Amino acid sequence: MKIEVLGTGCMKCKRLFKNVEIAVKELGITAEIVKVDDISEIINRGVMLTPALAVDGEMKVSGRVADVKELKEILKG
Amino acid sequence: MASRPECACGDTSALAGGKKRIMFPCAGTANVGLISNAAALQLAEEGYGVATCIALLGSGDPGLKKRMADADEVVIIDGCPMTCGAKISELQGVAIDQHIVITAVGIDKVYERNYTEEEVEKVVSAAWEGRGRPGEIHAR
Repeated sequence: MKIEVLGTGCMKCKRLFKNVEIAVKELGITAEIVKVDDISEIINRGVMLTPALAVDGEMKVSGRVADVKELKEILKG
Repeated sequence: MASRPECACGDTSALAGGKKRIMFPCAGTANVGLISNAAALQLAEEGYGVATCIALLGSGDPGLKKRMADADEVVIIDGCPMTCGAKISELQGVAIDQHIVITAVGIDKVYERNYTEEEVEKVVSAAWEGRGRPGEIHAR
């Protein structure tokens, strides 16, 4: 599983990234967690509000920090 | 040309389905009460929600009640198991969506004014992680 956190490095992006790390650890799953902070790539991915979260290329959250419980639900599919 | 994406560090979370939150720190005088204030202010700066005085809630201020009716979530940050903030909310008939008790986050209550940035960060992280929701580890 590839999890991408898209954002230019603001505090909310950092909070979302940290929550993703915690959710992955608590679920005990193996995942590649990637920060995408290149503005051109973020625009090309169609993100209008950051931070955003994509799982295996599919956009799941945009413009807010999902908490750990919500992220675990998203990652469990 | 595509427009630059807007960062939700402003108050744009509600546009994206995020929560409009109002936070009340217990504002006690022991270290954990001081931490509750510092954490609420930091959370406000980070765009988590609006920090408001628990004394105003206790006074039954009608203006505040109007603002609360407009909020999606009420977050209480209590310093210790006395849970004064939660009790004030209950007396005012306010339902709590997230309740963080700082001693449950792993910070001991001592009657000192000293606290560290790391202690404040623990509480701020707990809020962002949603740990004060019912059933979560820091909820009462």
